[in-house]
Amino acid sequence: MSDPLSLRAKSEAEAVALPALLARAEQLAGAVLLGAHGRRRAGAGDDFWQYRPAQIGDSRRAIDYRRSAMGDTEFVREREWQIAQSVMLWVDQGASMRFASSEAVPQKIERARVLALAVAILLNRGGERVGLTGTELPPRAGRPQIMALAALLCRDDNADYAPPEHRAMIPHARAVFISDFMGDIDGVRTALTKAADRGVRGVLYHVLDPFEEAFPFTGRTIFESMGGTLSHETLKANDLKERYLARLAERKAELQSLCALTGWHYGLHHTDSTAQAGLLWLYTALDAKAVAA
Amino acid sequence: MVLGGIGFTTPWLLLALAALPILWLLLRAVPPAPVKRRFPGVALLLGLKDDETVSDRTPWWLLLLRMLAVAAIIIGLAGPVMNPETEQADGNGPLLFVLDGSWAGATRWPQQQEAIEAQLTRASRLGRTVGFLTLTQPEPPVFQSADAWRNRLAGIKPAPWQPSPAMLDSAREALGDAGNFDTLWFSDTLEYEGRDDLLDALQQRGSVEAYQTALNVMAIRPATYEDGAVQLRIVRATAGPERSVTIQAQGRDPAGNGRILTTANATFEEGATEGQTAIVLPSELRARITRFDIVGQRSAGASTLSDDGLRRREVALISARENREGLELLSPLHYIEQALAPTADLINGALGDVLPANPDVIVLADVATLSEAEAAPLTEWIEGGGMLVRFAGPRIAASDISRIDEDPLMPVRLRAGGRSVGGAMSWGEPKALSPFTNGSPFFGLIIPDDVTVSAQVVAQPDPTLAERVIASLSDGTPLVTRKTVGQGQIVLFHVTATAEWSTLPLSGLFVEMLERLAVSSSAASATTAALEGTTWIPRRLMDGFGTLVDAGKLAGVDGPQLVEAPTGPAVPPGLYTSGDRTLARNVLTAETELGLAEWPSDVPVRGFSVAPEQPVAGWFLSLSILLLLADVVVSLSLSGRLLSRSNTAGIAIGALLMITPPADAQTAEEEFALAATAELVLGHVITGDAEVDEIALAGLTGLSDTLFFRTSVEPSNPLSVNLETDELAFFPILYWPVTPAQPTPSSEAYAKLNTYLRSGGMILFDTRDANTASFGASSPNGRKLQELAAPLDIPALEPIPSDHVITRTFYLLQDFPGRHAGRDVWVEAADPNAKQIEGMPFRDLNDGVTPVVIGGNDWAAAWAVNSGGGPMLPVGRGYSGERQREIAYRFGINLVMHVLTGNYKSDQVHVPALLDRLGQ
Repeated sequence: MSDPLSLRAKSEAEAVALPALLARAEQLAGAVLLGAHGRRRAGAGDDFWQYRPAQIGDSRRAIDYRRSAMGDTEFVREREWQIAQSVMLWVDQGASMRFASSEAVPQKIERARVLALAVAILLNRGGERVGLTGTELPPRAGRPQIMALAALLCRDDNADYAPPEHRAMIPHARAVFISDFMGDIDGVRTALTKAADRGVRGVLYHVLDPFEEAFPFTGRTIFESMGGTLSHETLKANDLKERYLARLAERKAELQSLCALTGWHYGLHHTDSTAQAGLLWLYTALDAKAVAA
Repeated sequence: MVLGGIGFTTPWLLLALAALPILWLLLRAVPPAPVKRRFPGVALLLGLKDDETVSDRTPWWLLLLRMLAVAAIIIGLAGPVMNPETEQADGNGPLLFVLDGSWAGATRWPQQQEAIEAQLTRASRLGRTVGFLTLTQPEPPVFQSADAWRNRLAGIKPAPWQPSPAMLDSAREALGDAGNFDTLWFSDTLEYEGRDDLLDALQQRGSVEAYQTALNVMAIRPATYEDGAVQLRIVRATAGPERSVTIQAQGRDPAGNGRILTTANATFEEGATEGQTAIVLPSELRARITRFDIVGQRSAGASTLSDDGLRRREVALISARENREGLELLSPLHYIEQALAPTADLINGALGDVLPANPDVIVLADVATLSEAEAAPLTEWIEGGGMLVRFAGPRIAASDISRIDEDPLMPVRLRAGGRSVGGAMSWGEPKALSPFTNGSPFFGLIIPDDVTVSAQVVAQPDPTLAERVIASLSDGTPLVTRKTVGQGQIVLFHVTATAEWSTLPLSGLFVEMLERLAVSSSAASATTAALEGTTWIPRRLMDGFGTLVDAGKLAGVDGPQLVEAPTGPAVPPGLYTSGDRTLARNVLTAETELGLAEWPSDVPVRGFSVAPEQPVAGWFLSLSILLLLADVVVSLSLSGRLLSRSNTAGIAIGALLMITPPADAQTAEEEFALAATAELVLGHVITGDAEVDEIALAGLTGLSDTLFFRTSVEPSNPLSVNLETDELAFFPILYWPVTPAQPTPSSEAYAKLNTYLRSGGMILFDTRDANTASFGASSPNGRKLQELAAPLDIPALEPIPSDHVITRTFYLLQDFPGRHAGRDVWVEAADPNAKQIEGMPFRDLNDGVTPVVIGGNDWAAAWAVNSGGGPMLPVGRGYSGERQREIAYRFGINLVMHVLTGNYKSDQVHVPALLDRLGQ
């Protein structure tokens, strides 16, 4: 892998997918951004925001004498609020995400990447810092960050089910975990507990394929995981439906209770619904938190 | 074994049907193959157990499908047979098929063949060996397997005669030591002599069954001409109810095509076996009749051929001008008229009047001299097949005709004056005739004693005389001489046609001699005596179905035998000729009676209408294969593999199952046509020189591109045209570079090229040699061009005149350079009458497109572009070179415009007049 040539070839292959992902994410983000203009208000920051008449309680140091000397009123120079949140994303890159029940619906990972990148773009435009959990890409502001994010999001993981990355979480930051959460729930629990310990709050976004909700199988079937590491044979697949759905509901309930414990939001997204709806929910969930914070 | 109308050859195999229920249970127990699915939710499934241990069972209807398939296989292998022969006792041992094989069975021959085939099938099923004995062509029977005979069945044909006693004898001998066998006798329903004996002989060998249709055989007797009408008599084998029969007279129409000339109805009265009808026809029409057929019967007996008996010859009688009236008995033509009147149509008149009627024979009685205006058409008529019969007489004897040189219209030279024997003033007795020699047409005629000759003209002894004499006197002097001219002949009787010089015209011999010379003809003459000494060569023979076939090279038949002998291999019925005479030997004679074959009561007689055995095993096996194929599809779709996982399997099965005609792949020819016609396409002729062809194609590409850029002509990519195989009509213009080594097109290709040129195509010939030779023969390319263009339909040419339309179809041009800037380019010459009208800038030259443009400027090389679109070859030097290339392109554009618009731009000459008329 360290061979520069193969690295370059791989990078180029990755780059091919990038613009498409970016474009779709931008398009998605553009639709949401209409009417919402980020933190355009006075607050702590470096840039000039406005002059306002000094009020009682304003420190004398706050008075801008240069402006006040033009008249009799004393003015205070306000600066724009430049406090930025750090939002960390984690998108499940495991093999299980590369599943699409039919050609009409996208692969789960595709939807997850688009949503993650779109939300990143939105946040980026709002002036927030966006990054990945883990040490690879700490949150930063600015346009180049989106490019780096897109590049990292395009990597595939060969493991069947990837556990959430929970290292190097910045205290009191935000986090977005997008996955199908089909793997071991313990990883999720660890990650969320750790996040709660550090005061990190965020959103668990559960992406599922319609087939995973419906289980429309009959007859003698051998089910295999996407990576092929797990398999299960049944003689009557339709008999399994009830119990599978029960287990899925149990999994969802578990995730929801985890979220309730740690103060996270839980959201469910199906790949047959539009990405727009998913992004809206995701953004409001994050925004509500931001407002609440 | 027979079950419900279906027999089985190996019925014990049906026991396997009992095993089907076991199969049912087995198939139910085996679960269908599992489906593999990728599913991320498998993590949630881990650890789940099935409630039941039995898998989904195969659907009952799929099981039924499989059962049916297996049942069809079992039944198919058991050898089912439709319509099994059950009413007949199955024999064993050899089986002999005896066929009458005569013309009487020809009408029902296909039914008989079917019946024989059904019996062969049965014999094959019983494993009996089979032999065939055809009584009309008896040969020792060869006992072989029935299947071997089945292939040869079609080769057995009816003969156009009945089995004769001699044939039956040889048939009995042919049986010889064949051992014992059963016999199936396929009778033609007609009785014939000796049949009972053969039946006895066959019954001694084994059982005999007879197959005989209920058809009443009908036949027609030879047509005769009596009382001014053609008399037709028909006969049938058994008397029955009244029945009307249509008879067709076939012949040639004036154009020579065979057609039905007329029809007539003959009726059998109730209880009668004979019927009769008469047809009255003009003699012209009657002479063209070749045969009479009974409609609905297809046998040699139901057809009769016509011969000279119906054909009355037209004889023109011409004598020298008569200057005496009322002396009928002394008329030079009296005896000839008497001899010919019963059997020939006589024409009287002047020679110039009768020749246009094209008579068969012209008789000149003592006519010495003919004018040049008469002799020339007469000679022409003789050469075309006419027969000129001349009689001597006092005028000929007195004239100088054929004295020194042989007259073209006389067979021999004559001595002056003739001679007289046995008269009052001469020595000797009147001479008798010497017997006719073998080569003479009169050979075989009996000479009466009282025929004497007292005067004659005498032939000069010439080298050719001996071969021209066909009758002579007892002292050897010629009496009748003959020579052939073209297809006709000239006969000279050295005596008068009256009784003055001889008693010959008074005797019956005279009539017989005229008949032998085919001056007259009648069926009545076909008697043994009249045909004595003649040999008849078969020309066309009838087969058993009554079809005339060419006789090939068969030996001739003696005249008496032809009339007397029964028809058989020695005398097959058909048309025979002897010299100019034609005689038809028909199956029936005027006396033949037909009788129905009667069978003794111990011989079972069956009809032909046997439903043939039909093995249907193939149908059952095909059904099983179809069912199994359906099973494959259903199984695949049930297990989800037909459409979900990969569509290829489904498509493959679908392709297997769909009975579609083989995908009509476009042939190369069609592709070529499509490529050439979807858009306008320029073409060049393939010369075989790879470099020249490449440049030509590149040149046309460059020209096409230029046309596309500059004009509304937007051609697609040019094509290379193979003159031998490709259609030329698709191309408005063909560029033909000339190389010395290119092959000359075939004559078919030239035919195509000429059609192409006539239908408005244009060929641009390019010798590519800068006209160094100015089309002299000194340039190899020029020579080759002359050779190539020689068979082409090319009009007169001239160098392009300065007001030719090609100089202004798109650009105004006066030079036509290519890579060379040679001067002369030749096109179709203008109308020499074209004149320049006052005030008009141009003459109105040609009305069409010049079919050829010939030059040597190597235009393709100037036009040629490489794959990048740049020029392929350099032209000239610097700017002037590029200018020359530009002019070359302009010439190409003008040329294509000229081809596509014709003389449209020529009409510009009228513009001043039109403007004037518009008042502007």
